Amino acid sequence: MAALQKLPQLSACMAANEPSSTCKPELVVSDQFPAGLRVLVVDDDVTCLRILEQMLRRCTYHVTTCSQATVALNLLREKRGCFDVVLSDVHMPDMDGFKLLEHVGLEMDLPVIMMSADGRTSAVMRGIRHGACDYLIKPIREEELKNIWQHVVRKRWNENKEHEHSGSLDDNDRHKRGNDDAEYASSVYEEAEGLLRAQKKRRDAKEEDDGDLDSDDPATAKKPRVVWSVELHQQFVSAVSQLGIDKAVPKRILELMNVPGLTRENVASHLQKFRLYLKRLSGVAQQQGGMSSSYCGSVEQNGKPGSLGRFDIQALAASGHIPPQTLAALHAELLGRPTGNLVLPGMDQPLLQASLQGPKRISVDHGVAYGHPLVRCPANISKHFPQAIITADDVRSGLGAWPSNGPGTVGPSSNLGGLVAQSGNILMGMLHHQQQQPRPHHQPQQQQKQVTQPDPSRSINVQPSCLVVPSQSSASFQAGKNPVSINRNCSFNRSSSMDYSLLSSQSNNSSFGIAQIMDGDPKTTSVLNGYPGPGSVSPSMSSCSINAENAANRQLQNSTVASNAARQLPVLAPNVCDIQGSYNTKSGHVLDQGPLRNLGFVGKGTSIPSRFAVDEPDSLMSNLNCGRIYGENNENKVKQEPSMEFIESAKVGIPILQKFFHQMIS
Amino acid sequence: MLGLGADRLRADMNRLLAFLFHQGVLDEQFLQLQQLQDESSPNFVSEVVNIYFHESEKLLRNLRGLVLEREFSDYKRMGIHLNQLIGSSSSIGAKRLTNICVAFRAASDQNNPTACLRALELLEHDYCYLKNKLHEFFQIEQQRVMAAGVRYPIQN
Repeated sequence: MAALQKLPQLSACMAANEPSSTCKPELVVSDQFPAGLRVLVVDDDVTCLRILEQMLRRCTYHVTTCSQATVALNLLREKRGCFDVVLSDVHMPDMDGFKLLEHVGLEMDLPVIMMSADGRTSAVMRGIRHGACDYLIKPIREEELKNIWQHVVRKRWNENKEHEHSGSLDDNDRHKRGNDDAEYASSVYEEAEGLLRAQKKRRDAKEEDDGDLDSDDPATAKKPRVVWSVELHQQFVSAVSQLGIDKAVPKRILELMNVPGLTRENVASHLQKFRLYLKRLSGVAQQQGGMSSSYCGSVEQNGKPGSLGRFDIQALAASGHIPPQTLAALHAELLGRPTGNLVLPGMDQPLLQASLQGPKRISVDHGVAYGHPLVRCPANISKHFPQAIITADDVRSGLGAWPSNGPGTVGPSSNLGGLVAQSGNILMGMLHHQQQQPRPHHQPQQQQKQVTQPDPSRSINVQPSCLVVPSQSSASFQAGKNPVSINRNCSFNRSSSMDYSLLSSQSNNSSFGIAQIMDGDPKTTSVLNGYPGPGSVSPSMSSCSINAENAANRQLQNSTVASNAARQLPVLAPNVCDIQGSYNTKSGHVLDQGPLRNLGFVGKGTSIPSRFAVDEPDSLMSNLNCGRIYGENNENKVKQEPSMEFIESAKVGIPILQKFFHQMIS
Repeated sequence: MLGLGADRLRADMNRLLAFLFHQGVLDEQFLQLQQLQDESSPNFVSEVVNIYFHESEKLLRNLRGLVLEREFSDYKRMGIHLNQLIGSSSSIGAKRLTNICVAFRAASDQNNPTACLRALELLEHDYCYLKNKLHEFFQIEQQRVMAAGVRYPIQN
């Protein structure tokens, strides 16, 4: 249909799930969308009509208004394909709004949103039963109108999916038509049918382009459903990780998988689900606040990765949640582009490498990395935790209250258990792995990490290349997913490019979040959130990068943050870490209203007052007020007496802690 | 000095608005209207309010006609008019008017003529009040624009 063709962005993203270059993992649309959405507003009340018109214009939609339903219907009929969505009042003198709804559904397959001053449930119910996509109650606010594009997308997407799975189109049509004629809902079905048909046409066109052999011929009977067995999914995931999540096109995946009888459509729909799954994971993992996988990266560097897969499987098998290969592959994929060495069963290497390369999403990284520090021994997982904790005892005590439960004591089993539970098996596998290989070297590092991570609920994330930010030292902190990054002198830094979009989305929920900015990733954006007033902070904080150019930017941010210090901003300044560097705690973390202002890392060349940045002299912080802890401490002080500082300001602890350990190691 | 006039007038406007808010005559939807006003629609608020007055007076006349009918029975039509009045009043933020209309609608649903009449009287009274106040508001606004524009044609 013309309407469909007019929305290239939508159709492109929906028809084939092809990834595009935008940063949003889920809905792949161009940056302009939904600007220019063509809306038709029908309301006999001229006041409301004028107001809606203005509001919609402000949403960058393209508006046409009409005060009579009959005129509107004619307009829709004459100009098919000129509108994307219809907003209609329920009570109109010349035609009932619901009748208009039915007509539009029948003839034009457009999403229709009803409006009314009558907000009674019965009235709303009637609207829904008639097939309205949504029912808005006057007075309508601009925010509600901003979201109407969702209905357009959702409708098309659902139709698309329906088509994929439904098999023969004709059968469905006939069936539905036969049964539903007499019902109110008939309009909905017919609408759906129309859309399905339209979708099918679009998909045909698209698939022809791909040279797909799959037949769209409705005459073919229902396609046999493909069962995605573990092996099959494993192959799928390995293919996807080989290609890279962004470049994973169903066709190429199909080629790589080389499974006879598997169609591109099967792969496409499975890919769609997979992405949803990843997205969900990322949301979950963020809540848990795990370490980034960059941590693993560090491990890998020092030693040969070993067979993570083994442990993975063990761990996973123990928990029995996710098939290890799947999970491992998942991680590999999430972690970014593995260098192509991804072998599912022994996932370690690619995972680690991937982590180095800057995974796109933090999510699973968090989850994965989270458990790293905890597990030390190759043996029993549960045993490790206490052990790990013990090793970091002194540090922990120094940390004071902040990590989790108690002053300085990380309750091993409970915490770790919690951790493990939260972060899932992956972590265990990872931990195992880490333990095995580079144990001597990494132990102290791991220690630190571990210390910082004790409380999943607090979600202190320690990531090698991230800033370590205690998520909650006291009530003042908000747990959120604070990805903390510590810059190590290894390549950790490079590894995880956090998925800032994820973070930012978090922050948008007005929850605390900490943006980590991994170095080297130009497109990372820092997410600083703040908290009830994130607006002031976040925008200024976005798009941080390592460059000194951003220093000014960050400085601005920092000052903004500092100004908000009264509240608690767990601000994580962009972590422009220096790869070579040592620990850079680039966290703009406002721990408390006290002297500890933001622990902020500011890029080179910026010196931000009261910003705590721990770093080594050779690294970026040359101009920074390095080590300005509590606003006054200098770097040296930090270096030499970290523990003291820890105790004083437990909140600031981790970054310092990390540095401390680092020095101890080196 | 010269700009003081404009500033004072703006202060007057704000005071009036605050007063109306405090009384419950207006609510934050009115603020939304003000926010919708921009360079592309510089007179948006007054435009919309004038449309509202125009339309509402028609509706009020109809309602009065229906309520004062000898055979006071067309509740359905009354309900329709009221719905529209509720929609437009709430859309511009006329909170008190909206509430009266809602009560009016309830009385109409219950087919209660006395209550309808009382509601109508209250409605008309409040409508006049709102209209006067908003006229006043726009007058001050006009003066403010003139004061700001005349003295400092470049500045704003």
